[in-house]
Amino acid sequence: MKYGFIIDNRKCIGCHACTTACKSEHDVPVGVNRTWVKQVEKGEFPHTRRLFSVMRCNHCTDAPCVDICPVEALYIREDGIVDFDKERCIACKSCMQACPYDALYIDPETHTAAKCNYCAHRVDIGLEPACVNVCPEHAIISGDMDNPESEIAILLGTQQVKVRKPEKGTVPNLFYIDADDASLNPSLTTRPQDTLWGRQEGGVGHFAKAAEKMAFSNPDVVSALMEVNGQSTTADEVTANGKARSVDLLIGKTPRRVYDTPNKGILWGWEVSGYVWTKAIATGAILVPFVAWLMGAMGPNLEGQYWSLGLGIFFLAATGALLVKDLDQPTRFVYVLLRPQWKSWLPRGGYAITVFGGLMALSLVLLYLGQTMALVQWLTAAFAVLVAVYTAFLFAQAKGRDFWQSPTLALHMLVHSLMAGGSAFALVNLITGAEAGWTQFLNTFLMVSLGANLAILVSELATPHPTHDTHRVVDMIVRGVYRNRFWLGTVLIGNLIPLALLFVSGGSPVMMAAAALMILAGIYITEHIWVEAPQRISLS
Amino acid sequence: MTKKPGFIERIAESIGIIPNLHKDRDLDLPHLTQTTDLTNFPPPEQWDDWVEYEAKAHPRREKKHYQIVPTTCFNCESACGLTAFIDKETGQVRKFEGNPYHPASRGRNCAKGPATINQITDPDRILYPLKRKGKRGSGEWERVSWDSVLDDIAGRIRKALQEGRNNEIAYHVGRPGHEGYMDRILQAWNVDGHNSHTNICSSGARFGYAIWYGYDRPSPDHTNAKVILLISAHLESGHYFNPHAQRIIEAKMKGAKLMVMDPRLSNTASMSDYWMPSYPGSEAAVLLAMAKIILDEGLYNRAYMENWVNWQEYLEHMHPGVPVTFENYIEKLKETYAEYTPEYAYEESGVRPEMIRETARLIGEAGEQFATHNWRSAGSGNLGGWAVARTLHFLNVLTGSVGTKGGTMPSEWNKFKPSFFAKPPAQKFWNELHFPNEYPLAFFEMSFLLPHFLKEGRGKMDVYFSRVFNPVWTYPDGFSWIEAFSDESKFGLHAALTPTWSETAFFADYVLPMGLASERHDINSYETHSGKWIAFRQPVLREAARRNGKPVTFTYEANPGEVWEEDEFWIELSWRIDPDGSLGIKQHFISPYRPGEKVTIDEYYQYIFERVPGLPEAAQKQGMNPLDYMKKYGAFEIEPHCYHQNLNEVKPEVLEGSVVDPKTQVITKGGKPVGIMVKGKAVEGFPTPSRKNEFFSKTMIDWGWPEYALPTYVKSHIHPETLDKSKGEYVLVPTFRLPTLIHSRSGNAKWLYEISNRNPVWMHPQDAQKFGLKTGDLVKMNTDIGYFVDKVWVTEGMKPGVVACSHHLGRWRRPEDKIGNRWATNTVAIKNDGQGGWKMSTISGIKPFASADKDSSRIFWSDGGVHQNITFPVHPDPISGMHCWHQRVRIEKAGPEDAYGDIFVDTNKSMEVYREWLKMTRPAPGPGGLRRPLWFKRALRPVDELYYLDNVNENGSLKEGVGQ
Repeated sequence: MKYGFIIDNRKCIGCHACTTACKSEHDVPVGVNRTWVKQVEKGEFPHTRRLFSVMRCNHCTDAPCVDICPVEALYIREDGIVDFDKERCIACKSCMQACPYDALYIDPETHTAAKCNYCAHRVDIGLEPACVNVCPEHAIISGDMDNPESEIAILLGTQQVKVRKPEKGTVPNLFYIDADDASLNPSLTTRPQDTLWGRQEGGVGHFAKAAEKMAFSNPDVVSALMEVNGQSTTADEVTANGKARSVDLLIGKTPRRVYDTPNKGILWGWEVSGYVWTKAIATGAILVPFVAWLMGAMGPNLEGQYWSLGLGIFFLAATGALLVKDLDQPTRFVYVLLRPQWKSWLPRGGYAITVFGGLMALSLVLLYLGQTMALVQWLTAAFAVLVAVYTAFLFAQAKGRDFWQSPTLALHMLVHSLMAGGSAFALVNLITGAEAGWTQFLNTFLMVSLGANLAILVSELATPHPTHDTHRVVDMIVRGVYRNRFWLGTVLIGNLIPLALLFVSGGSPVMMAAAALMILAGIYITEHIWVEAPQRISLS
Repeated sequence: MTKKPGFIERIAESIGIIPNLHKDRDLDLPHLTQTTDLTNFPPPEQWDDWVEYEAKAHPRREKKHYQIVPTTCFNCESACGLTAFIDKETGQVRKFEGNPYHPASRGRNCAKGPATINQITDPDRILYPLKRKGKRGSGEWERVSWDSVLDDIAGRIRKALQEGRNNEIAYHVGRPGHEGYMDRILQAWNVDGHNSHTNICSSGARFGYAIWYGYDRPSPDHTNAKVILLISAHLESGHYFNPHAQRIIEAKMKGAKLMVMDPRLSNTASMSDYWMPSYPGSEAAVLLAMAKIILDEGLYNRAYMENWVNWQEYLEHMHPGVPVTFENYIEKLKETYAEYTPEYAYEESGVRPEMIRETARLIGEAGEQFATHNWRSAGSGNLGGWAVARTLHFLNVLTGSVGTKGGTMPSEWNKFKPSFFAKPPAQKFWNELHFPNEYPLAFFEMSFLLPHFLKEGRGKMDVYFSRVFNPVWTYPDGFSWIEAFSDESKFGLHAALTPTWSETAFFADYVLPMGLASERHDINSYETHSGKWIAFRQPVLREAARRNGKPVTFTYEANPGEVWEEDEFWIELSWRIDPDGSLGIKQHFISPYRPGEKVTIDEYYQYIFERVPGLPEAAQKQGMNPLDYMKKYGAFEIEPHCYHQNLNEVKPEVLEGSVVDPKTQVITKGGKPVGIMVKGKAVEGFPTPSRKNEFFSKTMIDWGWPEYALPTYVKSHIHPETLDKSKGEYVLVPTFRLPTLIHSRSGNAKWLYEISNRNPVWMHPQDAQKFGLKTGDLVKMNTDIGYFVDKVWVTEGMKPGVVACSHHLGRWRRPEDKIGNRWATNTVAIKNDGQGGWKMSTISGIKPFASADKDSSRIFWSDGGVHQNITFPVHPDPISGMHCWHQRVRIEKAGPEDAYGDIFVDTNKSMEVYREWLKMTRPAPGPGGLRRPLWFKRALRPVDELYYLDNVNENGSLKEGVGQ
């Protein structure tokens, strides 16, 4: 038993009946959609067509949203439907990053994720989904694909069908007959703020609340908010060559997207880049002394060791706080630990953080008692590494974002952790003073890690990119909207200038501290770019 | 279906630190099918207590008990089936789905069907009768009682009737849809007061059809067609969007070819096999070129034409001396249309000659399976737009696809006509404000000239009802309407019957809330396909109350607030106009079942349903009476197919005493044609003087238009010859509709407005470049009476040299109109210089607002579009009376002083344009002192004697003693 959908574009007339029938069945708030009809125009007069494509959850066999969901709020039923339980959802928005099809949104009413669930409540009593019923053309075909006599199975057996983004390996169960790539491949068109018949002026979904609040005070603020949320500029418009392409769009050389649902904006904002940053400091504060100890170099003195654990515990707490703040259901944060879905790197990370925190607390007690236990030291360090890098694995589970699929991302985060830890000690040393050996070690350590970081940066950005979307993100970073932040923030302030300072510092605590500040700022800016930029790519 | 909790979760749930989310997840409702197959609708035997899981609670199993009550949609005219799911706990409608028992919509709907629930729950809807305070149009209202409203209006009408001022009473309807009900009311009052929106809508096409065969609307049998030719956009709009779209695509899937003529890439054009982006107004030239090819290549249907075209009459009149043979007819046809080469058509239209040849051959080969449609579109855009329908029907005649399976029927074959009790006689008044002598052939009332007529002093309106009608916004020259409405000497009392606020209701004396789709009674029957059906629109909460044993007397008791329904309103009003029965009105509102008692709404429909062929039997099979059957199923199919009705034999009782004209074979009785002899059989034929398709129209000659005796191409008022391109003059196509909206009536539907909320001007890149415009730039569109400033949408989907702008959008309210369709309305400032100059500017766009519906605070759009129609002068076609919508516009890039949404109009110029067009008319009388051909239909037809000008008194009444 496996339910699937066929969208038969030979019949779809773009009437939006499915859209409103779905809204009616599920009482979907204004601004967000479980199903919608994307419209693309292509060709030149008079050889031109408007293409209609019904977009929605693909009910994937290997659903990335299910894999990434930390609390099993999303799950695949025995009948193949990818369903969700809003009461479990903590609204971490991971699913929205994982889904390559843009199927999910944050419901402004429940503040949880939602999407098409194949009208599972209807299917359970034998009724067709609402969209199938309403469709004037019977262009949406539902049914059990495992039943060879079903209409859907017969069509699948006799018609040429396509799926969206098969390369994602999600095995979608929504098939299109007679679909055009201009519709199915979002990279071929840009998401417009102005559509044929409409215009988006305020935030929706995750941002609806903020938009509401501001809308009543001052209409101008709404556009400002959109700017902040990254909703008013599309990826293509902001890449350097995007402008030229917009002109092409205007004169119709390429397919034009003429209707789409409102942009959901950038879902993971400063809280997420912030938590990656605090986490780097927390783990680095443990790892740097550990490396020194491992290499037999001089480590921090006793006061420095307190600082190590203090910084670790403090920034880990900050990490936790930011994680909770990012949830649209913050009070449900314990579900990550108490309703864990073990395939997701979120509970894995959550438990890693918890254990890491416990180990640091234990180390603090041991330090106070004057004891050392190698096992605890090793374990703490091991968890520090895990905590430092697990986010890379979480990001890798976010299959919607090609840029995050980079194999060097874990290394990138580990090196950032080492840089952050080293920088933290460089600043501590300015306050407490330190032995020359430890200072010298830090200076060299930071220079080496900066070197490694630059190497990773080059490899991340300069190696040929496997997908178009990655390429566009890199374009945005080095030539587009992030170019100033990248070249000035990441490259100069974050790496080259501190490297030069450290090179000439001769162990001067002030110069080291200056370099450290710049490194920390650079890490934040880099993580901000790395988290935000890929989210500008339209998924549907 | 949720998985078992894991170890940690189970412990955490059991010790209560997190809630137990594994409760209430088990399935306990039965499955409707035996297999994994899904069915589309709950079985009717469960409609009184249908249980399903609430979607919003899912996967928690919250069981909802519903009562399912059918009704019909009230958005476009199609009246597709809806079923209301009434939550038994709250007693409110939770949602609307389709009605699988509706023969036209077959359980399916367009976007507007499900959105009906938005209209019901719109926080801005009007729930109580309102009376204006202060000056008309001042925006101040007070709640009044229905009693006082009815008494006030009834008293006023009574007085007018007693004083012979019957022509000062009018009912002006935007959205009709209650077969015959209003005709009954008005005729009971003896008032020639029916005024409709038809002359801004479809009367162009209607005239083109009627002059051919007496029927005024086409009814294509798309399902069985091999070729479908649309000069319309029926895959997204029009009558009957959803039912037609279903069948067009069905045919396409079976291999039919879809051809669409439209200068704009409509969704329909986009789905077509042949898109013919013709220059507006050139359609008839293309159609005649096709006709020429069909004639030249011998693809015509000789058998049909020989019998069913009045070619003998044609030859005798136009070519006396030529032997009357079919061969000669064909020769003359070829000669007549020789000039319409595909190359000529290309010059006029821009449609490539090869495409014209290819499509013409396909049409010829399709033969009887050739379905066509033209409703508004070109027919409503152009001077002589009626020629489009006329030349289109010509193709049906040539192919013999009139009334065939897969062909195009006249609408009346598919429309059910109810029979009424105590039917009032035809009124003995002729109101020249509706049918003036300048327009003897006008197919419907000259409704859009009403303000101009009133300004000219042709009469006044003492009691004026507007019903789901918004001329200030929808009609051309809305400022002239505002001027007329504001003048109490022109409109004594204006009562707006409307479910929602409108720009016209702002200028009423009473705003009277009337029910939406699920809050009123109507019967519907439309030509959606080859069959014949009726559907029952009913107030669903009232029906639910009845089923639950708590019946109400009046619909408003079950409706929200004090929302009435018109059916009951008119009965109540009629009784109060004639309390003692002395005016002869009351007798038509007496129960046919309970002598002397006031008729109830149930009795009214019971009487009709008892007389629907086949319905009483179908009902009896289910152990029901016909009324209960309709209340339960909401629709009934009277006949599955209605082909070839012209071949129906004349009934013996009609034949008795009739005579057959030996030459024409027309059978007449009492001077009126009733049939025709074809192949020795007395058949009904068509309702024309010749009882055939009138290729040759004697009527046109008789009424002063000999140049249009045959189907021909009329050059439009926006023909390229009339435009000065060097001055930036273009044609604006302002008529096209969106699949998601319906005129100005859907501004209260949030799900529709979030999809479409503005109306930029479509322009081809080439034209945009010429003006230095790109998408989003402001453009000033100068019409003959003013201008509007809109944004540009540059698209390859527009024919170069033509621009287009959709209507529906650009709705407004003034700061003094505190609420009203806030999902859809810009707030505007209107300034009048007192000299006819009107300026409108946008104060703010659509803004989120606080209301009981939280969605209103989530409005993410702000651009409400621009009101274009108000800047158009009236363009009455001198023959059909249709307002010719297409506009000559001078396009310019907006200047620094122009703001988005700016509008200016000089109503003096409006009057000038009106007078220019009036000069083009050839007024009555026609032959025999007639003011209108007797064989022409007329809405709310008065007694025949009034067709003779000499028989009419000053006040419009029939002279004493005439025809008695």
